[in-house]
Amino acid sequence: MREAFGEALVSAGQTWNNLHVFDAGTKNSTMSIMFEKEFPDRFLTLGINEPGMVGLATGIAMNRKPVVICDMSVFLHHALAQIRAAARQGDDIHMIIAATHTGIAVGPDGGSAHDTTDIGRMRLIPEFNVITPFDGNQVKQAMITALEKPGFYYLRLNRPPVPIITDPDEKFIIGKAKKFSDGNSVTILATGDRVYPAMLAAEELGEGYADVIGISTIEPLDEEAILESVKKTGRVVTVEDHMKFGGLYETIAGLLASKRPTIMRGVGLERKFTTSGMPDELATIYKIDVPSIIEACQTVGKD
Amino acid sequence: MFKIPVEDLKDKAYNLRFNLIELLYKTGSGHLDTSLSLVEIWLSIVYGNKYRFDPDNGSMVERDRIFLSEGHACPLQYLINADLGYYNKEEVFDGMRQPFSPFQGHSVRNLKYGIENSNGSLGIGLWQAYGNAIDCDSTVYCLAGDGEFQEPLSLSIFAAATNLRPAGNFILLVNNNELAQDSKIDIGPLLEVAKSFNWQTSSVDGHNITAIGEAIQYSVENLEKPSIIICKTVKGKDGDPALAGKLGNHGKPPKTEEEYLAHIEGLKQSRRN
Repeated sequence: MREAFGEALVSAGQTWNNLHVFDAGTKNSTMSIMFEKEFPDRFLTLGINEPGMVGLATGIAMNRKPVVICDMSVFLHHALAQIRAAARQGDDIHMIIAATHTGIAVGPDGGSAHDTTDIGRMRLIPEFNVITPFDGNQVKQAMITALEKPGFYYLRLNRPPVPIITDPDEKFIIGKAKKFSDGNSVTILATGDRVYPAMLAAEELGEGYADVIGISTIEPLDEEAILESVKKTGRVVTVEDHMKFGGLYETIAGLLASKRPTIMRGVGLERKFTTSGMPDELATIYKIDVPSIIEACQTVGKD
Repeated sequence: MFKIPVEDLKDKAYNLRFNLIELLYKTGSGHLDTSLSLVEIWLSIVYGNKYRFDPDNGSMVERDRIFLSEGHACPLQYLINADLGYYNKEEVFDGMRQPFSPFQGHSVRNLKYGIENSNGSLGIGLWQAYGNAIDCDSTVYCLAGDGEFQEPLSLSIFAAATNLRPAGNFILLVNNNELAQDSKIDIGPLLEVAKSFNWQTSSVDGHNITAIGEAIQYSVENLEKPSIIICKTVKGKDGDPALAGKLGNHGKPPKTEEEYLAHIEGLKQSRRN
């Protein structure tokens, strides 16, 4: 996803000659360095100063130019006040925040570096679209869409490579979910890099068992697609590399509680710090891997 | 140096203070004391010879910009923009702190109304203003309170001139009234710090229109480095003399007729002196 993001940045820089890109001392991790090589005059790295980066980028956006802010996700905690202040500046501001290194997929760097609350934080800031792509193709398409009109866009990216599951030319539509398989027994709502394991789980559960719906924009949510599926299956499993608190699980629970109360199970992280380990190993430890999804699908509403 | 004679600016300062007292007495909440301390500074900027603005075209690209970082001084901003012709003063009196009005308890960016930035949480406007400055040819003024330098992010703005690039069109005016909400403020070696990061520095009496005007003029004419102008001010200047310059009155408007009259009397007294 990071390489795809770097390529998307370069492509955006070619399309938009007033686009500015910012980083806070992590350009070779976020891959914004690829943009810097092509457009050094429109790239600013602030060093270890995340709040300064967001403030500076906001100031340039206030001159009605699109800005992309890149950082390793967990460090954006430093800039929460500045991000909120940016969102307060009005609807002519065009700001994309791309956060790489999200979730436990960050791996060996450990719990201090695992950002497992970013979806929740960004949901709590008005104006922001919260975008959680499934793969590199979707990252590129989401960037194209986010650059089409002013607004605030949060892009959640992963550190390790993820399998490609979407078409490279598939237009990204904000607020639109994507269905991967049809079934009658359970609705699996998965987001980010967890969509692929959800597809594998559905395969093992057998044909016609699970509706797999990928949720690539958590704000705004594709309520129609979700409710239509839930009406059919009556059971829901959410899947995410994020705390269930504030994450997809709670988002869906909020929707269903008011529109169609439905028994749910969340495959996601508890409200605890996590440990060092390899990403796959951690997915097993924290039960967000394929067997955990299968188990959740088999047991939800049956205990 | 100014578009109108200094004596006229002094009259404007008096009238603005009168209106501030009236406005906040009517509204019943808001930050009178901070607003009173900023009057001469703000007038010196907008009535400067070279200050570019168009009240009929608030988003004009060539406009000079004023970022108010200490957003609680917005009552003054609202009244001065009325004076400049962006709207009628009555709109402010009707809308101050009212639901959905453009005159919220802290500024909300509204270029049509001459309001450059949304603010509230302190220590944020400086970096926004600096970013804006490195990306435009206008003069970008930033009004910050001395207390804002307790936020580490504000202090780091000086390094932007060396780490990023010097924005010679950036003028930071510090409202140095030495009082924050619950404690006194000592800015310490702020000027020396700025100087060591290669800023143009000056320190002036923040109620002396000519002195502020000269400092601004120097900055506007010398564009190699960003500027900081420390303006020594009195919090609550020319309001109730029993409150002016004293700790503990932050955000307290006159609530009773007696308090209101004490402010008005203080203002009238200041003119006699």
